[in-house]
Amino acid sequence: MTNHSDVAIIGGGPAGQAAALTLDDLKLKTVVIDEQPRAGGQILRQPPRSFQIPAWMEDRTYAPLVKLLRRFEAQTSINWIGSHSVIGLRRRPDGLFTLTLCSPDGLRLVTAARVLIAAGCQDLAVPLPGWTLPGVYSAGGMQALLKAQRIVPGGHIVLAGTHPLQLLIAAQIVEAGGSVAAVLFSQPRGTMLKAGIRNGLRALDQLSAAFPAIRALATLRSHGVKVLYDAPIQAICGTDRVAAAQHPGGEIACDAVGLCYGFVSQSSLPRMMSAKMRKAGPAGGWATLCDEWMQSSIPGLYVAGETTGIAGANAAMASGKIAGFGIAAELGAISQDEAARRVSRHRANHRSLLRFARLLDEIADPRPFFPALRDDTLVCRCEEVALAQIDPVLDGRSANAVKLVTRCGMGLCQGRNCEPTLLRLLDNPNDPGFTARFPARPVAIGDLAT
Amino acid sequence: MRKSDVLIVGGGLIGCATAWYLAREGAKVTLLDSGDFGMGASGQNAGSLHFQLERRFLENGDALAEQAARIAALSRLAISDWSSLEADLATDLHITMNGGLMVAETAEECALLERKITRENAEGLQTRMIDGDEARQIAPYLSEAICAAGYSPDEGHADARLVTHAIAIAAAKDGTVLRPRCRVQSIEKAGRKYVISTAEEQFAASQILIACGAWTAHVAAMLNLHIPLFPVGLLMNATERVAQAVPHLVQHVGRRLSMKQTHSGNLLIGGGWPSRMALDAEGRFALYRPPAVIESSLRDNLRVAIDVAPMIATISLIRSWTGITAISADQLPIVGEIPAMPGCWVAGGGSAFTLGPTFARLIAQSMSGKKREELEIVAPSRFSHLNSFMGQ
Ligand SMILES: Cc1cc2nc3c(=O)[nH]c(=O)nc-3n(C[C@@H](O)[C@@H](O)[C@H](O)COP(=O)(O)OP(=O)(O)OC[C@H]3O[C@@H](n4cnc5c(N)ncnc54)[C@H](O)[C@@H]3O)c2cc1C
Ligand SMILES: Cc1cc2nc3c(=O)[nH]c(=O)nc-3n(C[C@H](O)[C@H](O)[C@H](O)COP(=O)(O)OP(=O)(O)OC[C@H]3O[C@@H](n4cnc5c(N)ncnc54)[C@H](O)[C@@H]3O)c2cc1C
Repeated sequence: MTNHSDVAIIGGGPAGQAAALTLDDLKLKTVVIDEQPRAGGQILRQPPRSFQIPAWMEDRTYAPLVKLLRRFEAQTSINWIGSHSVIGLRRRPDGLFTLTLCSPDGLRLVTAARVLIAAGCQDLAVPLPGWTLPGVYSAGGMQALLKAQRIVPGGHIVLAGTHPLQLLIAAQIVEAGGSVAAVLFSQPRGTMLKAGIRNGLRALDQLSAAFPAIRALATLRSHGVKVLYDAPIQAICGTDRVAAAQHPGGEIACDAVGLCYGFVSQSSLPRMMSAKMRKAGPAGGWATLCDEWMQSSIPGLYVAGETTGIAGANAAMASGKIAGFGIAAELGAISQDEAARRVSRHRANHRSLLRFARLLDEIADPRPFFPALRDDTLVCRCEEVALAQIDPVLDGRSANAVKLVTRCGMGLCQGRNCEPTLLRLLDNPNDPGFTARFPARPVAIGDLAT
Repeated sequence: MRKSDVLIVGGGLIGCATAWYLAREGAKVTLLDSGDFGMGASGQNAGSLHFQLERRFLENGDALAEQAARIAALSRLAISDWSSLEADLATDLHITMNGGLMVAETAEECALLERKITRENAEGLQTRMIDGDEARQIAPYLSEAICAAGYSPDEGHADARLVTHAIAIAAAKDGTVLRPRCRVQSIEKAGRKYVISTAEEQFAASQILIACGAWTAHVAAMLNLHIPLFPVGLLMNATERVAQAVPHLVQHVGRRLSMKQTHSGNLLIGGGWPSRMALDAEGRFALYRPPAVIESSLRDNLRVAIDVAPMIATISLIRSWTGITAISADQLPIVGEIPAMPGCWVAGGGSAFTLGPTFARLIAQSMSGKKREELEIVAPSRFSHLNSFMGQ
């Protein structure tokens, strides 16, 4: 079954929604594809329809995003394809794009004149001794459970890392009835404050964005949760599951650990297309380069939201609108002048949000604080490759060459998780990382053969 | 200027293994590659050790098949080279030689198998024809649709991830100077010496080997020579890891298929399906960019695999990759000294994973003055006419 649209959008987060609404307003036939069943993206991961959570995301920081989501869901002229992963993307010689979609029901092809990749980001995976014990989560994974299903991991939880988001997650956990043993920041409070003050002046207009963190601190204080600074987590201890988190000041007994060092853009599809990329920022990963209309180096292929670098949900929304107008102008649904006029507000907003994102980047910069690995610490979980296997071949060769001889990055996740760590170990600023390969997600052979 | 007895350009399997064989005999060898060793075809291939006549030789008429059968002599040597490689290197390369089946589904394919096997047996290869039931006894995963198979007891596979790397390490231990990430930019003949320049260094030797796989024609051009090796983009597919179930090499006589299970449990599915090579700004094949997957190749490759082993349908594909290898104007490899350019050797083309160690050993011996007759059928002299107006 093939169907054709003017625009295919990969990702139904704030960026994809904003672009879709803009395009739909301008009467362009738009399809939005997401591997989640419902729209919302990472920030508004929705509970299943059958499962109503009272007061879901009612916090006012989320209000504009929730409003956008409700409008998006009400817009029946936008074609929503949920529960489908885009596993392949190709630009045909005639300039049209073919997307290969995969779901438990098999494969499906979609064609479109323009494609927007708004695939979001994922937690930066940070290996440390003990990180593969049951009970260790990415903080984001923990939050996703909380948002979508109101599941709080049982027992006492430690959150650890460098990203202030862990304050919000900890507060959400205690508010949902969970127990947080401590929040450990690797960096000294002074380092965070200095970065905050140095850059805060540049991002004054967005300082309100820091309120949720301040409110979270108050919530944690009222629940008696310890927040420790200059307390870099060094190891997670336990025999068959998590028992304690270790930092230079001692061990904290706990049943679960959430690690929070920041986020990396999803980059498999743009890299598969050989779009030009750039190093995304302190956490690692790759952002797709784009022009002022969010068009990548591949003609007709647009990018928005965290795909272009980590900047938060509001920036994702703004960039989605810019991309929407850019695509609409290119397809002739609106004049260039009109498009330029209508995006100017979003551009200004986007720019100031990016300044705030740089502030957050600096505060959360994990680089000086990556935990030391032991010889037996796994770098690649999928293929169970430990540091001791990688170390002997760190002799100047490329990430691809290390992958070949060690299997680091050869597993189910296509190297999404271990690539930043390996690139850090290689320490070669010119290494382009693993060659991106089809398919972006595993897919049954039988589905591909028909 | 760094002087050696032999300079080798290209650190794929052929280049690394030649360096190793030469160094073991005490020669001073320098080995250069523009990237990391073994990252060309030698690190991208399927790892099949196939000794039955290849399907590609059968699909273009009888005359070519007749000629190709002569490669069987080299295959016999390759069987013994692969049998001793792990012991010689004292390393586990996941070499398994549990036998290989080249299956047939139609009466026509059965007849083709029969002709092939007659030819192989005449050349001293121990293949035999078995019927569908016997094939399924040996390989229970085969479909009911398989009506016959050519069975070779020696076929199998090795881990292409490890082989070239291990040989490069062994070559270095025996004194070879390794220069990874040093692209050869020019080669000049100065009297009886060859001088090779990279961005940083110069090297000289009286003998050189060009073992640059798909890049061979470009590098030979530095000496104003034609070597008719053409780049070919191919497709490979890897499944998720599953319990060991396929201990053999499986091929198809009438359709493109090679299938095996790695030591780690991934099934590797290939068989010579094309991928689309990228073009550079001038419209020439861009050999440093990965070729693109061609959807119909992918679909049809996986279709054959399922037709042959139905259990594959429910296993997940985790990666399709593409790689570039070299094929010669007449499909046979090109291995030997270039008549117009004494001291300049070339080796490449064809299934040079299976035959790589053997080519390397024979070249190393020939370079040291012990001429090996087995290389005659692959000698570059058959293309001398291309170089009658070329050279220095
Ligand atoms: C755990 C976590 C917590 C975060 N918390 C905050 C926060 O509190 N505040 C904030 O400002 N930012 C936060 N972010 C950052 C960020 O995700 C948001 O800024 C926002 O969701 C970005 O919007 P987006 O549209 O770019 O991407 P997303 O909202 O992530 O949407 C991308 C969508 O694309 C889909 N997708 C990706 N690849 C494919 C594919 N191949 N096929 C089909 N669908 C695909 C995903 O399922 C997802 O729904 C968080 C990120 C994470 C990972
Ligand atoms: C997908 C695929 C599957 C295959 N399957 C099989 C199989 O199952 N069995 C089999 O027998 N064969 C198979 N082959 C073929 C086999 O891989 C090759 O024949 C063999 O690996 C060739 O080795 P090589 O040393 O000649 O070349 P390569 O391994 O390609 O090495 C050439 C080297 O030359 C270097 N080089 C190029 N230019 C320069 C320069 N200017 N300066 C310095 N160095 C340079 C390159 O960087 C490269 O490392 C397959 C090939 C592919 C692509």
